[in-house]
Amino acid sequence: MRFRLPNLLVLIGTNYIVAQSQVPSTTDSVLSQQLDEVIVTATRTERQLSSLPLPVTLVGKKQIIKSGTVRLNEILNEQTGIITVTDESGFQGVQIQGIASDYILILIDGVPLVGRSAGNFDLSRLTVGNIKQIEVVKGPSSSLYGSEALGGVINIITEKPKTEDLSGNASYRIGSFTQQDMNLDLKQGFEKFRYGFFANRFSSEGYDLNEDVEGQTVNPFTNYTLNGRLYYDFNDKLSLFTSGRFYDQVQDAGFSLDSIQYEGDTKEREWNAHARLDHKWTPNLTMAYELYYTNYVATELLADPISTDVLSDSDFDQKLFRPEVRGSYTFANENDSKIGFQNGTLTAGAGLQIDNLDRTYFDETVNFTSQYLYAQYDFDPIEKLNVIAGARFDNHSEYNNQFSPKLALRYQLNNNLSIKGSVGYGFKAPDFRQLYFDFTNSAVGYTVLGYNVALDKLQELEAQDQILDVIVTEDELSKPLEAESSIGYNLGFNLKHGKGTTEVNFFRNDFKNLIDTQIIARKTNGQNVFSYMNFDEIYTTGFEINSSYKLTDQLNISAGYQLLYAFDKEKKQDVKDDQVFVRDAESGQSVALSQSDYFGLVNRSRHNANFKVYYDIPSASTNVNMRVLYRSKYAQYDTNGNGLIDSFDTSFIDGFVTINTAVSKIFYSDFTLQVGANNLLDYTDNNIPTMPGIQAFIKLNYQF
Amino acid sequence: MTKNILAVVFLAVAFASCSNDDDSTPTDPVQTETVSNLYAPQTGGQGQPEGGEFAKFDFETGAVTTSDTDWDIAFRGTTIAVNGGTVTGTEDEPERNGDAGVAIVTGTLASVTTADGLTFNQDTDASFAIPTGSDNGWYNYAGDPTHLITPIPGKVFVFRTTAGNYAKVEILSYYEDAPAEPDAFTDATPYYTFNYVYNPNEGDTSLE
Repeated sequence: MRFRLPNLLVLIGTNYIVAQSQVPSTTDSVLSQQLDEVIVTATRTERQLSSLPLPVTLVGKKQIIKSGTVRLNEILNEQTGIITVTDESGFQGVQIQGIASDYILILIDGVPLVGRSAGNFDLSRLTVGNIKQIEVVKGPSSSLYGSEALGGVINIITEKPKTEDLSGNASYRIGSFTQQDMNLDLKQGFEKFRYGFFANRFSSEGYDLNEDVEGQTVNPFTNYTLNGRLYYDFNDKLSLFTSGRFYDQVQDAGFSLDSIQYEGDTKEREWNAHARLDHKWTPNLTMAYELYYTNYVATELLADPISTDVLSDSDFDQKLFRPEVRGSYTFANENDSKIGFQNGTLTAGAGLQIDNLDRTYFDETVNFTSQYLYAQYDFDPIEKLNVIAGARFDNHSEYNNQFSPKLALRYQLNNNLSIKGSVGYGFKAPDFRQLYFDFTNSAVGYTVLGYNVALDKLQELEAQDQILDVIVTEDELSKPLEAESSIGYNLGFNLKHGKGTTEVNFFRNDFKNLIDTQIIARKTNGQNVFSYMNFDEIYTTGFEINSSYKLTDQLNISAGYQLLYAFDKEKKQDVKDDQVFVRDAESGQSVALSQSDYFGLVNRSRHNANFKVYYDIPSASTNVNMRVLYRSKYAQYDTNGNGLIDSFDTSFIDGFVTINTAVSKIFYSDFTLQVGANNLLDYTDNNIPTMPGIQAFIKLNYQF
Repeated sequence: MTKNILAVVFLAVAFASCSNDDDSTPTDPVQTETVSNLYAPQTGGQGQPEGGEFAKFDFETGAVTTSDTDWDIAFRGTTIAVNGGTVTGTEDEPERNGDAGVAIVTGTLASVTTADGLTFNQDTDASFAIPTGSDNGWYNYAGDPTHLITPIPGKVFVFRTTAGNYAKVEILSYYEDAPAEPDAFTDATPYYTFNYVYNPNEGDTSLE
């Protein structure tokens, strides 16, 4: 879904890749913290949530259903340290530990989703209707997942049918802005065969936050998600999982330029095909053979309805094919001691990834291929100490090979207190756009060139006498662009106390070689030619704390908080050296910016907090809940020309509170009626296009 | 055009630099001045060929001039020319007959105290010594939604004048009457307001 930001026009395409960041650690807030919660994302093996040495957030189905959320961005935005942000490209993405969406890998049943807009993965593309749980591992996870897993991994897990009875649900929900959500979910098992079928239709009339601007902030859209899953157990040892997913959205598009109201639409279509054979050779050795293919297509056509002149006709077609084999071997036998280096579990995998993109502003279809190998050893060298050590090697056709190690430890001090710490390496390969873009803004006249084509394109422009002078040397454009990388540190503890638990995690992420746009030449029209370069070094640091209390069997409360500092290292040094200036409001003269006035990176709030109450009334089969979210002020872009965000910039959005609430009641045992309201305080800001005012809804669900 | 210039002495520095204590010749005090609303219109632009006479400025008199030779710097739209080097090739530009030059220094006006050791650039064929374009030379263009043209804070322009003197300049505003919070849609351009410090002693590099 695309939103209109006031400054959308100028920066489409250049998208300054400003890294972002945020906070750290774990748990299904408020809802059941049972011992049997198992997650797979952190180790690629089933592990008890409470035993993991890594910061993990788990969002279960119950929480999703009770909260009445319908899209993935809504439920994730309610988790501590996970924030959805609309950046200056006008697209929305998720920020974890202050790290921008570009650096967060999104998986569904362990395989990656593709299709990003200006680096942002739009989580509203995903319905939560058929999700068993959402697993979020924070911190670099490239040791298992490779590129993009710098800030963390979000893995959406679908549910395997458990019984032979036909079960499922059908629901209809309608709310403000004529937002309609319909779901049909069917699951059934037979002797060896099981299936799941899911269909969702989601639509909205959209809304308008700013009546002074022509057109709506969010245009009407309708989308469909279909997912079919087949499971076949050949025998105790061999089972097959296959899944096909289809997503299709059409959204009206409009754009006003030079008093012509252009009209058209934006279409998105996505296919995923996933097949996996699980083979249990012995109780100690399991293997998985996996094939995955996905295709994401987005098109936009805008034309003048009267003259039929086409303003914009863009398309984007990305394909990914990925076979992978992995296995897990446990050295200890069932009755053996699990303690000791020799009694751990070894997990290893190898795969191949072929990535292909054809889009407007590219000369031709481009292909990336990479091969990778990873291994991880999970063991308890002494009692109470768990160690996970792993590494992955990626060999890529377009950039330097990457070696991504990770080490994590957890020590159980006593029954109530455990300490965990981890350090890992993460990287993100230069993306297609950064390498192959060839875009000239027709209104303003600037040009953006991908790094790999910059030299050739520059020569073409020179031959056309469009270049005044070239600012970088040929040498600088000849050595390959490096992958962006980070090292992340997490250190925290889990404490059980009476009826509650508290988790604390301190984090620090050091990024280097961040790719940003840089002027490489000046044009004769006074505009610039930009390309992408490795130069930024940033860090994000802070801590996260989550506490939850089960006050009674019926009443759960939880609170979460994240403190975040996110800065550009070089700029911080420049400020310290008195090399960054602002204008004195009275005299208009430049004065050096003081260190305390450097606010940090764009779109980062220093404080994020949430407070949630879930109350069950068993006698009335009713659940009532309220979630209060707070985000402190943040800046959207530099307004005083000094290239960073300081307290004198005027693009700050003040801190704000949103309250979401829902009440559900089960009746006739098979029906659930839910009534709720999101953004109860009716908070809006023209600069937050993703947030309409209060949205009331009512939902009827039939479960069987 | 001189009526557009309001030269205000807002700080009289009473003593010249002490760099030549042994020299018995008395030195004139360095002068700090503000020029307000220097009007420098341009025709064309936005894809059309740019044109129009440059508004020429002479540090010695502290005023706009129509002289073809006694000028140091000249303004047209967001473009600034120096009287040194060669013509760049744009329409209606003045002939360069002096040896003026400019060095772009990062700092506050007060922190730049000397012209010693600086490299002075001159206009050349197709290129101005003060580069044109947003973030290249003296200004930043914000684009949507404000469309503001803002002098980049911390840019000080040190000039060697046609007469061989030195001056430093900080541009404050591109909008008429230099409003503290200009509005690109209502405030008129191009009206330069700048502070400068001029050393009237020929060849003396001190700027404080």
